[in-house]
Amino acid sequence: MKTIKLGPVLQLEQSSAVPVVVFRATASEILSIARIERADRREDGRLVGFQRPQIQAHINEIQDYLDEDEAPILPNAIVLGFCGGVSIKSDVLVVDGGSVPPGWVVDGQQRLTAATRTQNQDFPLLVSAFLCRSVAELHKQFILINSTRPLPRDLIYELMPGVEGLPPRLSDRTAAALLVEALNYREGSPLKGMIKQHTNRAGVIKDTLIQRVLMASLSDGALSAWRDDTSLLLGPGYAMVANFFSALRQVFADDWEGHTPKTSRLVHGVGLVAMGYVMDALAFDREARSKDDFVAGLEPLVGRTAFRSGEWEFTDQRRLWNTLQNTGADYQLLATHLVSLVRRPRGLRLASDR
Amino acid sequence: MKFLFADTADTVDPAFDFERTRSPRQRRVHDDDHYPHEHLIRAPYDGILLSRAAFSDHRRSGKYGAARSMRFRREGARTFLRYPEAEFPGSIVMGDCGAFSYRDADAPLYTVDDTLSFYADGGFTHGCSVDHLIFDFFTDNREPSEEARRRQEITLTLAADFYRTSVALGKRFTPMGAIQGWSPASMADAAVDLVKMGYRSLALGGMARSPTDDIELALKAINERLGASKVAIHVLGFGKVEDAPRLKRLGVTSFDTTSPLLRAFKDDRQNYFYADGNRLGHYTAVRIPQAADDRHARASAKARTVGQEELIRLERIALGAVRAYASGEGELEQTVDRIIDYVSVVLWKDKKSEKSNTAEFAKLRSIYLRSLGERPWERCDCRVCHELGVEALIFRSTNHNKRRGFHNLAVFHSLLKSQAKVSP
Repeated sequence: MKTIKLGPVLQLEQSSAVPVVVFRATASEILSIARIERADRREDGRLVGFQRPQIQAHINEIQDYLDEDEAPILPNAIVLGFCGGVSIKSDVLVVDGGSVPPGWVVDGQQRLTAATRTQNQDFPLLVSAFLCRSVAELHKQFILINSTRPLPRDLIYELMPGVEGLPPRLSDRTAAALLVEALNYREGSPLKGMIKQHTNRAGVIKDTLIQRVLMASLSDGALSAWRDDTSLLLGPGYAMVANFFSALRQVFADDWEGHTPKTSRLVHGVGLVAMGYVMDALAFDREARSKDDFVAGLEPLVGRTAFRSGEWEFTDQRRLWNTLQNTGADYQLLATHLVSLVRRPRGLRLASDR
Repeated sequence: MKFLFADTADTVDPAFDFERTRSPRQRRVHDDDHYPHEHLIRAPYDGILLSRAAFSDHRRSGKYGAARSMRFRREGARTFLRYPEAEFPGSIVMGDCGAFSYRDADAPLYTVDDTLSFYADGGFTHGCSVDHLIFDFFTDNREPSEEARRRQEITLTLAADFYRTSVALGKRFTPMGAIQGWSPASMADAAVDLVKMGYRSLALGGMARSPTDDIELALKAINERLGASKVAIHVLGFGKVEDAPRLKRLGVTSFDTTSPLLRAFKDDRQNYFYADGNRLGHYTAVRIPQAADDRHARASAKARTVGQEELIRLERIALGAVRAYASGEGELEQTVDRIIDYVSVVLWKDKKSEKSNTAEFAKLRSIYLRSLGERPWERCDCRVCHELGVEALIFRSTNHNKRRGFHNLAVFHSLLKSQAKVSP
């Protein structure tokens, strides 16, 4: 391999011991001077490399962004570490020839891999390189660079509605986040101010719970009809959800008003998730959309619930009201029970209902 | 004889990009996917069996998650599976309790009542009574274990209750009495009891792992005791699809299996079906696992010294060679060599000696020479082979493998139909 020169570089005077430079390069130029070495053990047990494996889904997302967005940017630098094999001459980085590239990719391997596969092979990447005296120092830098804390999830969810073109795995979440925002802040919403968010610590109901309810309906329930169109979702979609919760607050006023998840299971995860499925069942069976539709649909439940006291009689077990918990099993136990009550208030007398 | 496909969320993505081995970013699981009857030109079965075990509830989690299972109860099987009666006239949608999934429990997980609500919600045409599996099978007249006797009693008691209550589901629903027993004679006894209760349709259970010879013994005993009564018999979970014609001779009216689909990715060798005259023949799909998927790379010690980037290079060469060969460029021998170059790195087994690894790859080489050399995808007219060509014979992503499973279903089903024409 012959000597490679990249530059011009901008040298930062951060440390006298570890020189740091920044420059621009394409993905293939970067791979000609540095390699991605994944953490693994050789047969003798020796640890080599430090990167985690490629995450295909993540790379695909970045690649889609680079290929499909009109003006993609990757402002974060790909960070390279060297210990030897490289020198800085005036404003040029000189990398010595050898059988393998002397540097290591310390940060940005998924971005770099995506960039090698994108149609625009000349896409310029920002590179930040540092020159260590030992491998131990390189490992230390790797840990320091990669141990930053991600943003809190609830803040990301709350920021999401304002952002377009996010990776698709966030899209059901985004739709749910949009609705949560509308339910929590729109004038006249039955849940106004009740949802606990990053910016509304006083809320009673955790936002992720309401999101859970909405996401189930978006993927497999009534909201799926409007999920691909933001204005429909925030129009008739929002109206349906708001009407359902208005009806719920009216029909179950005693279990709702002034209560917290501790004092009433209706405003607790288990009640909300189960009622979300009741909403979908009523929307499906009776085409319920208005508040009156939902009030009528909820009628069979009156007097047959145990949200604040007493016990539930399920087909295969009895449960004290406050033993229902925030678990997937309890969500489904209560949901199946409530849905079958609204569908067949008088039990299994089917020959006539078909 | 009707063949029912036992579904466990086995779908493919019709928009899957085989070049990039991935689904489009907007794809929605289930909604955008295809069931076999949607994907193929003709439904490759006469009905679908849905087990309750496929659906999540408060007792266990199934292949269909909570939201999707709740949706199933809302929409019913026909809508959920996009398998309307109008488009598939006379087709069966059968339900069962998934006894295998609670085999270790003391008693069945479900009551008669909630099973009937499940069948009612699902809009099933047929449904099995609630049963409890018996694994023992003695061909002599040995005394049964206490447990076997207890389980048969449970099964029969629940069957009586189920038959009575199932009237609620109306005339369009056929209740099926589940037969459980520890021997041909005890199964025949159970069948007689069930017919006395009123059942005209029986389901032979607990034989999913039994050899065909044992199933034959049981069926013969049942036939002898039932005599000329007009009873339909279904065999639950029949894995030896090659032996299906033998069931017909014993008066079986239907059976269910997933086997042709599962074989596509669970059988190392016999994973691509074709009709060899009146019988089922097999080819072996060519393994080109995804190098970028780290599970495969990690599975091999060789992979660790070779490195992921090199693996990806070898993978690309192997895939390119197969595709070029299929389109008429490139020689067979060289194509197979390129596959072996890659496979001998990624499928290297640490636990085996170098010698046995080498022998394995030599064997694979000759197998692949046959698979690719005879170009079976060009002789098949199913949608999978027609659309994908050689891709149908590549053992790779779930979308590759399940499509091959769909092809297997189509081959198996049309073979079964043509055998029906031949034999009276």
